[in-house]
Amino acid sequence: MSQTFYKKGFLALAVATALGVSAFAQADIKIGVAGPMTGANAAFGEQYMKGAQAAADAVNAAGGVNGEKIVLVKGDDACEPKQAVTVAKDLTNQKVAGVVGHFCSSSTIPASEIYDEAGIIAITPGSTNPAVTERGLSAMFRMCGRDDQQGIVAGDYIVDVLKGKKVVVLHDKDTYGQGLADATKAQLVKRGVTPVLYEGLTRGEKDFSTIVTKIRGAGADVVYFGGLHPEAGPLVRQLREQGLKDVTFMSDDGIVTDELVTTAGGPQFTKGVLMTFGADPRLLPDSKAVVEAFRKAGTEPEGYTLYAYASVQTLAAAFNGAKSNKGEEAAAWLKKNPVKTVMGEKTWDSKGDLKVSDYVVYEWDANGKYHQLEKQK
Amino acid sequence: MSSTTKKTIDLKKSLVDAILAGLIALIVFGPIVGVVLDGYGFNLETTRVAWIIAIVMAGRFALSTFLQTPKGLRILEGFESTGSGVHVLAPDYKSRLRWIIPLMIVLAVVFPFFSNSYLLGVVILGLIYVLLGLGLNIVVGLAGLLDLGYVAFYAIGAYGLALGYQYLGLGFWTVLPLAAITAGLAGCILGFPVLRLHGDYLAIVTLGFGEIIRLILNNWLSLTGGPNGMAAPLPTFFGLEFGKRAKDGGVPFHEFFGIAYNPDVKYYFIYAVLFLVVLAVLYIKHRLVKMPVGRAWEALREDEIACRSMGLNHVLVKLSAFTIGASTAGLAGVFFATYQGFVNPTSFTFFESALILAIVVLGGMGSTIGVVIAAFVLTVAPELLRGFAEYRVLLFGILMVLMMIWRPRGLIRISRTGVTPRKGVAP
Amino acid sequence: MDGIFLQQLVNGLTLGSVYGLIAIGYTMVYGIIGMINFAHGEVYMISAYLAAISLALLAYFGIESFPLLMLGTLIFTIIVTAVYGWVIERVAYKPLRNSTRLAPLISAIGISLILQNYAQIAQGAKQQGVPTLLTGAWRVDIGTGFVQLTYTKVFILVAAFAGMALLTYIIKYTKLGRMCRATQQDRKMASILGINTDRVISYVFIIGAAMAALAGVLITMNYGTFDFYAGFIIGIKAFTAAVLGGIGSLPGAMLGGIILGISESLFSGLVNSDYKDVFSFSLLVLVLVFRPQGLLGRPLVSKV
Repeated sequence: MSQTFYKKGFLALAVATALGVSAFAQADIKIGVAGPMTGANAAFGEQYMKGAQAAADAVNAAGGVNGEKIVLVKGDDACEPKQAVTVAKDLTNQKVAGVVGHFCSSSTIPASEIYDEAGIIAITPGSTNPAVTERGLSAMFRMCGRDDQQGIVAGDYIVDVLKGKKVVVLHDKDTYGQGLADATKAQLVKRGVTPVLYEGLTRGEKDFSTIVTKIRGAGADVVYFGGLHPEAGPLVRQLREQGLKDVTFMSDDGIVTDELVTTAGGPQFTKGVLMTFGADPRLLPDSKAVVEAFRKAGTEPEGYTLYAYASVQTLAAAFNGAKSNKGEEAAAWLKKNPVKTVMGEKTWDSKGDLKVSDYVVYEWDANGKYHQLEKQK
Repeated sequence: MSSTTKKTIDLKKSLVDAILAGLIALIVFGPIVGVVLDGYGFNLETTRVAWIIAIVMAGRFALSTFLQTPKGLRILEGFESTGSGVHVLAPDYKSRLRWIIPLMIVLAVVFPFFSNSYLLGVVILGLIYVLLGLGLNIVVGLAGLLDLGYVAFYAIGAYGLALGYQYLGLGFWTVLPLAAITAGLAGCILGFPVLRLHGDYLAIVTLGFGEIIRLILNNWLSLTGGPNGMAAPLPTFFGLEFGKRAKDGGVPFHEFFGIAYNPDVKYYFIYAVLFLVVLAVLYIKHRLVKMPVGRAWEALREDEIACRSMGLNHVLVKLSAFTIGASTAGLAGVFFATYQGFVNPTSFTFFESALILAIVVLGGMGSTIGVVIAAFVLTVAPELLRGFAEYRVLLFGILMVLMMIWRPRGLIRISRTGVTPRKGVAP
Repeated sequence: MDGIFLQQLVNGLTLGSVYGLIAIGYTMVYGIIGMINFAHGEVYMISAYLAAISLALLAYFGIESFPLLMLGTLIFTIIVTAVYGWVIERVAYKPLRNSTRLAPLISAIGISLILQNYAQIAQGAKQQGVPTLLTGAWRVDIGTGFVQLTYTKVFILVAAFAGMALLTYIIKYTKLGRMCRATQQDRKMASILGINTDRVISYVFIIGAAMAALAGVLITMNYGTFDFYAGFIIGIKAFTAAVLGGIGSLPGAMLGGIILGISESLFSGLVNSDYKDVFSFSLLVLVLVFRPQGLLGRPLVSKV
């Protein structure tokens, strides 16, 4: 090997390395998407990923974040706190700038401690438990409402519109469902209606006939269920099958998916089911173009898809606004400035909760679709 | 396989095997992989099925041909005569462990300097499972009592720290011994009525006990916070806290020493303490096995009737195994809670018990070093598989089955050093 | 109030007969090879998917009459699930036949992880369901209250007991049944007498899977919904039922299932559903402490 060739080769290598490094530095700002990608709640993790990916593509197409392109890093916590902690550390080590996640509040709570210590900004599209933002963390945000807000809407609706006298409150003994059921129960009691029955059922079971019989024994006129659709579906079906046709069934944003109809055995059972949910983001004028793009690609942006989309947008806006990829600075910016997202313009308070969270009541119709009710109060 | 003289490979047999396997694969995978439910309708996915069948047929053909080669025949024979029992070594045998143990200690001391907080977290979890595996190994591996509710004692330890902190203001260092004692007591109380049960009935009662503890933790809202879980405190370093801001009015560690705040310091500290505890438990267990009580456990596992006829108090022997095993789980639980900073009932499901049992069985029943290796294999493997995203747990399951078939008696077989009769003593 | 109480009894009876059907799979395998087949709950889960797939296919081909749908689904589901049972035994348990007692237990746990995630990946991580085929109910008025008996529930009870009767007949009076019982009593002796015990064990797995498939079809019809995680809870409950009734005993599995179902529904009906599982596990512990072999099990005699 001649000396010159060696030199040239070395030079070429050095240039390539320099280019490679700079290309690398310019290309990436990492954003973690953490949620249940496997396990019983994997459907929601899928929605997260779909929404976040679409938003990242859109942000990148529009110039990226502070001149860098967003790269998503997937983190699977299977809704287990233990895995959530490991995932949080993994993401921290991969030097993500921000995190969209997690889903189950019991995962978000321990994981957010780790993000907080590492100075990473996190925004959860779906964890509604009040404790997520009530622990004094500086960079934990929420794209959704809180259980206590949702419970107030549900409780008021039961008292004002449904005129419920004998109300049964059920929950699935999980952080989310029980938190909501407690909030609703508290609001009911405040309005002078004490629930005649307050009980938990077990997630993963399908036979709720004993609880239904108890509801029958209590002579209830309204049943409120805090939980998710795998239990809500069979519950409402067994309610109807045991001959309780006139009892109003009301639930929460955990049943916002077309699978509710599948699990209930057909739209004849879900007809008339009520639920509280943030004003459907798919109906907003801001989301029209995005929703159409999703539908063109063959997927329906249901449930938390647009929430995840808006979360990525929010993180991008915060980094751009703060002109920095540091979590604390982005968080400080986000607490002062509004962000225009696919779900409309959003503002956050000092805890990281949305200043306005608009829960409204929806009804399922005879064709297995849900739509916003006109009479809300 | 009748005679070894016939060395030709019968390709026709392999082909027939492959076609049969393909047919069965069609029946097994056809409907579930090929017809994907969508609401009440379905979508057909025939190419996926074709791929799977092709892979199964090719694999079966290769396996069938390989098993006809001399090497394959040897492997088959190996399967059929898996020896059993304890392997006895010569009396003057010097175990290679003399080198392995110091090496491991050096590795463990050096490790934190080369790791990041993610790796450290995985290793801390691995060490926690080592503790759990060691404890269950006493119950299942040595005493032969199948315990499927071992996670209950783990939960007692973890919740012991969280409850003690919240209601009694106890810290990590007070709870650590207390949790071991409480879990041991719980083991004793559970053990007393159930120890007259045999084998698998004991298994189901312990499973029931594990579920009862978890359900109570989940349902007793006013005490445990139910599914919301509870916060658990971090350990302190001679009263110095590791948090960014001291919670109970003390001085944080980094301020006291005047160094910059680093969130990983507390994990290094947990790692160091945990490592020392694991070493201590390893040593205690090593001694216990050689003591009369350890011998009694193993004797009881091998033949209960013979033991009882020789005058061993089987209740006491079993209870001691149960108690010591349970208290080890209590220790592990405290570390788990402090490492995670948060406990809730989802960490203590039956699956966790099954995982710990898998560690013990895979490690080789009764083998200490095997348990250590298996604990790391089973905690690190799912992390390594993270790259496979949704295939992760599927691969983990396949790994579990394959490892069991490959080493049904565990990674390390138990061996015991023999004894030479002393001169002048009648044999 | 009496109507409510009777309704709870009916609820418990249906739930219990479902537990019993799945418990049979546990009890048979345990009786023959002394192994707890932890993957059995997952076999039921697979059969639920198969039932839904078969219903969707039959509907696609325009079959609408209930008996035809039912018959087609039952035959399809039972056959394919039985093949699953056979394959699982071949792949994960047969190579471990001569090793320690715990080795197949661990590989069974591995198999159940595999099946859960296989179903999730193949079919998507979503709730599945079948349309309601049999609507309507009998309403029986009793005093002040009434008992609502849906046709599906009655169908479950009838089918469960028919399946149970058929199985009892097979075990008691056919050659296959005699072979099973001989293998159960003494595997070595049975093989000396010319019974191919390996094949008998395969048959047992096939029969167990077939009963799980029957349960899968019935449960899917009744509750209309399932997912890839459905095998876990029901598997633990059915296993509890098998032990309660005396593991290894067929009538015991059914009795254990029914007792478990009724006690669960009465406890949650009269006291509190939060603690119903605590109650059923405590019941199990109590029964075993005072009657270690379960209700109908043979006492264990250890040979010296």
